Amino acid sequence: MNFQIADFTRLIPEFLILAIAALVLLGDVLTRWSKGKEALAERTGEAIAMTLMGLGLAFVMVLIQGGFFNWVQIGDWKFYNFSIFQNLRTSGLDGSILGGAFVVDPLTHIGRLIFIGAAFVTVVLTGKARPSNNPAEFYALILFATLGMIFMTAGGELIMIYLGVELTSIPLYVLAGYFRRDPVSTEAGAKYYIFGALSSAILLFGMSLLLGLTLMNGQTMNATPTSLSSVKTAIELAFANPEGPSQGVAILGLLFILAGMAYKVAIVPFHAWSPDVYQGAPTSMTAFISTASKTAGFFLIYRVLVTGFDAPSIMGTAAIGTPTSFGGWTSLVAILASVTMLVGNLAALPQTNAKRMLAYSSIAQAGFLMLGLVGTQRDSSISLLMYLIAYTVTNLVAFGILALVEDNVGGTDFSNLNGLGRRSPGLALLLTVAILSLAGIPPLSGFFVKFYVFIAAWQEGAKWLVIFAVSNTVISLYYYLRFLKAVYFAPAETEEPIKVGFGPGIVMTALTLLIFGLGIVPTWLYGVLEQATIRIGAR
Amino acid sequence: MHLIESLPAGIPYLSLIWLVPLFGALVIMFLPKEQKQAMRIISAVVATISFGLGLLVFFAYDPNAAGYMGTKMQFVEKLDWVPQLGMSYLVGADGISLPLIVLNGLVIFTGTFISWNIEDRVKEYFILLLLLVVGVYGVFMALDLFLMFVFYELAVLPMYLLIGIWGSTRKEYGAMKLTIYLMIGSAALMIGMVAIYVVGGTFNMVELSQRVFSLEFQKLFFLPMFVGFAVLAGMFPFHTWSPTGHVAAPTAVSMLHAGVLMKLGAYGALRAALWLMPNGAQFWLPGIAVMTLMNVVYGASIAMVQKDFKYVIGYSSVSHMGLVMLALASMNETALNGAVMQMFAHGVMTALFFAVVGRMVYERTHTRQLPELGGLMKVMPFAFVVFIIASLSSMGMPGTAGFMAEFTIFTGVMNQYPLVAVVAALSIPITAAYVLRVGYMAFMGEVKDPHYHDLPPLTWQEKFSGTVLAIVVIGVGLFPSIIMDYIATGVQPIAQRMIDLAGR
Repeated sequence: MNFQIADFTRLIPEFLILAIAALVLLGDVLTRWSKGKEALAERTGEAIAMTLMGLGLAFVMVLIQGGFFNWVQIGDWKFYNFSIFQNLRTSGLDGSILGGAFVVDPLTHIGRLIFIGAAFVTVVLTGKARPSNNPAEFYALILFATLGMIFMTAGGELIMIYLGVELTSIPLYVLAGYFRRDPVSTEAGAKYYIFGALSSAILLFGMSLLLGLTLMNGQTMNATPTSLSSVKTAIELAFANPEGPSQGVAILGLLFILAGMAYKVAIVPFHAWSPDVYQGAPTSMTAFISTASKTAGFFLIYRVLVTGFDAPSIMGTAAIGTPTSFGGWTSLVAILASVTMLVGNLAALPQTNAKRMLAYSSIAQAGFLMLGLVGTQRDSSISLLMYLIAYTVTNLVAFGILALVEDNVGGTDFSNLNGLGRRSPGLALLLTVAILSLAGIPPLSGFFVKFYVFIAAWQEGAKWLVIFAVSNTVISLYYYLRFLKAVYFAPAETEEPIKVGFGPGIVMTALTLLIFGLGIVPTWLYGVLEQATIRIGAR
Repeated sequence: MHLIESLPAGIPYLSLIWLVPLFGALVIMFLPKEQKQAMRIISAVVATISFGLGLLVFFAYDPNAAGYMGTKMQFVEKLDWVPQLGMSYLVGADGISLPLIVLNGLVIFTGTFISWNIEDRVKEYFILLLLLVVGVYGVFMALDLFLMFVFYELAVLPMYLLIGIWGSTRKEYGAMKLTIYLMIGSAALMIGMVAIYVVGGTFNMVELSQRVFSLEFQKLFFLPMFVGFAVLAGMFPFHTWSPTGHVAAPTAVSMLHAGVLMKLGAYGALRAALWLMPNGAQFWLPGIAVMTLMNVVYGASIAMVQKDFKYVIGYSSVSHMGLVMLALASMNETALNGAVMQMFAHGVMTALFFAVVGRMVYERTHTRQLPELGGLMKVMPFAFVVFIIASLSSMGMPGTAGFMAEFTIFTGVMNQYPLVAVVAALSIPITAAYVLRVGYMAFMGEVKDPHYHDLPPLTWQEKFSGTVLAIVVIGVGLFPSIIMDYIATGVQPIAQRMIDLAGR
């Protein structure tokens, strides 16, 4: 339970982010302190530069610590033989800190990479839509949220998980409502806050039930009662004795935790906040909320379900027509998945605002994602993680391009996208690739991962769900094609090209290449993801 | 015709065939958009190279030699792709795919020349056109189900943009309808593929074809696989996207679309459904044979009453592709031979039709309404001659490619379903009637509009494309054995497997 000095190295990326956040805040004070235009520009520039450097450093650090640099070889001299690398790697690779409260395993490394990467892209994208006052707070909040997401992913214990969720959510509430003078943004912030607070309460209630269960089962205090492994034991015990009341408590706890998390990742019927928040928040923030925050939520759900609730009796099966009956949380997830994708897709059809439509599309994507959660076999887990990575990359590009267009045109309606193909063929191409990847068109990553979750869910026996999901892809195609229609078919109001800065341009291009890369060579992620799922105990 | 004894080994011929157009598309992507002529030339060059490579492989194929894993597949290339899921980059060619590869080369070769007059967004046009071709090539050579699907989608999606941007007559509607229909088809395919993978453990079609799936499985999953592809072949009742799409599409795209893309459907149905699940075929296909009658007869009858020149050709495609599907549904060797032959014959012929109607006539007169046309023979005799050649092939006149195809098909169908064959044969007089009708209305009689005398003369690109296609129509008609011998070797194992597994 004690914090040992050796644990420090495992937390280097987190400490780094924390330090940078503090530096960003502090540095703002030390820069020219004034609300004048020039001073503000200087302060913003300084905050952005420092944030980007910090995130970049943390990203590289995770790459080294996670052992992703094994393959770097120059001549006979392997990179990790270089002693600092070697030390960082061996000290950071695995282990759990604080008696299992913070788990450092491949899943955590993957999570760190995704969140830090997404935060980096978001900061680059803030572009013209910069905060008008107190820029340092804005970027520091992004860093704090990133930190929270890492805690969510790494949390091996209920309290740590809750802290992670709150550390993620509270900065995001502020960020969503950051443009105080814009009523839509304020509405987004307020709505996000109220729904978020409610869902946190629900989550906390579920956790307290589980804590009661672990204590009720008379576990000795050798293990932390709130850790996921204690939860697992308690649930196994509860189901071993079907007479006792504890079984009901276990199920209730699971339901509340699922519901609380479903709010965070906008799963139907807990999705109502997301379109308004996505539309109202600054577009770069929408990109962040819809990718990193959602991915963190799914990582958390995945870790909790697979390590805490993988007793067969509570897991059940989503298959219909097999001797084992339909039931357990897998079937619940399957039902939620089908409802989520259907509602998301149908609601996206009539939208006239591109940002709002992408919000509904994110809801639908969450439905597809959950196909990877209807079982815990290896293919399911790998496909889920792969889907999350592909989804993050793709959505960042989609929202990112939208943000860049908004900076120039001033809106995110479809009519604002009209004629983009003539005005800026480059931007149009990037947007097209992202949209087609969301629609699941090969050879882009969105297709491969979709196909992979279909295979995984079919193997788990949820054939009905796969058939349902496949029919949903056809519905989704209709609204995704509306993007292409606006971009390429509709006449442009002006021929004037859209100016894009060097930074956003290069980042968006790199991410687009990543969309192709993940689709054409999906194997290069496979090994890492397989390790992650083995370590977490997927069968 | 095994003309070339051996090709230098170690060169991935088949991959080069599709990589060359892809490379061309990439080069065009990096050209400044003012360089229109350069783009046309690059496009023509890569089309010529890939066509030439296709011919090279075609003539080097040895129909008697054994190929990959006991099949007739030659020029096989295999690379692991996602070994964890049994996906590989596996391409090969046999007697069925080779004529279609050549056909695709021919149509894009002539199609680039036909597209010479595109002035609007030339860059995007040729990039998409070449991507479309890459997809089509890939489907014809892929031996891995997943790879085939990837190429298949790659061939479908550029159509949306090509039709929506450069098309005419309700182009956005046509584009959306086409894409949604074809995506419904691919959704069905996806279900079939997932099911096949979970049972078979691999996507390698050669391996899968040497495995016998349970009867129940075949009955369940033959239908999604077959129908998924048949949507693209325009099978009734999923055919309505095809005339709308043909009409809306720009000329070269219509040529590729009706000429090659619809063949993807028939080819896929043959390769992925009939080959892998023969028992499922025997269970479902008699019913499907009756459905295809609707295509054949109904399609032809609708073509009869159309006023729009392109719609006539569009519905004639539905009718002719119906014959292909009917032949597939008959499942015997003769009929399958005829089916593949018809794919080739119809591809060339319909490309010629669209070249005449879309480019030579419509681009000049700006109307396709038959009552407004007339007497064009006096204005553009060349167009008239090639149109008649295509028409004769469409009617199935001896001496044209269409004759061999239809004759073989009807012989085969007669063996299997005599009654169906009799009804289907009704389409022959109807086809003759509508083809002659449009020929008469558009080309003969008095010149309807005095302006027609002032129409610009045909360009060399148009004449060149028309001539090449017309020569192929007649050449294959006179010497059908050039490709019939190949087709027979390709079809034989599929038909044999059908017989071996019958009555399980």
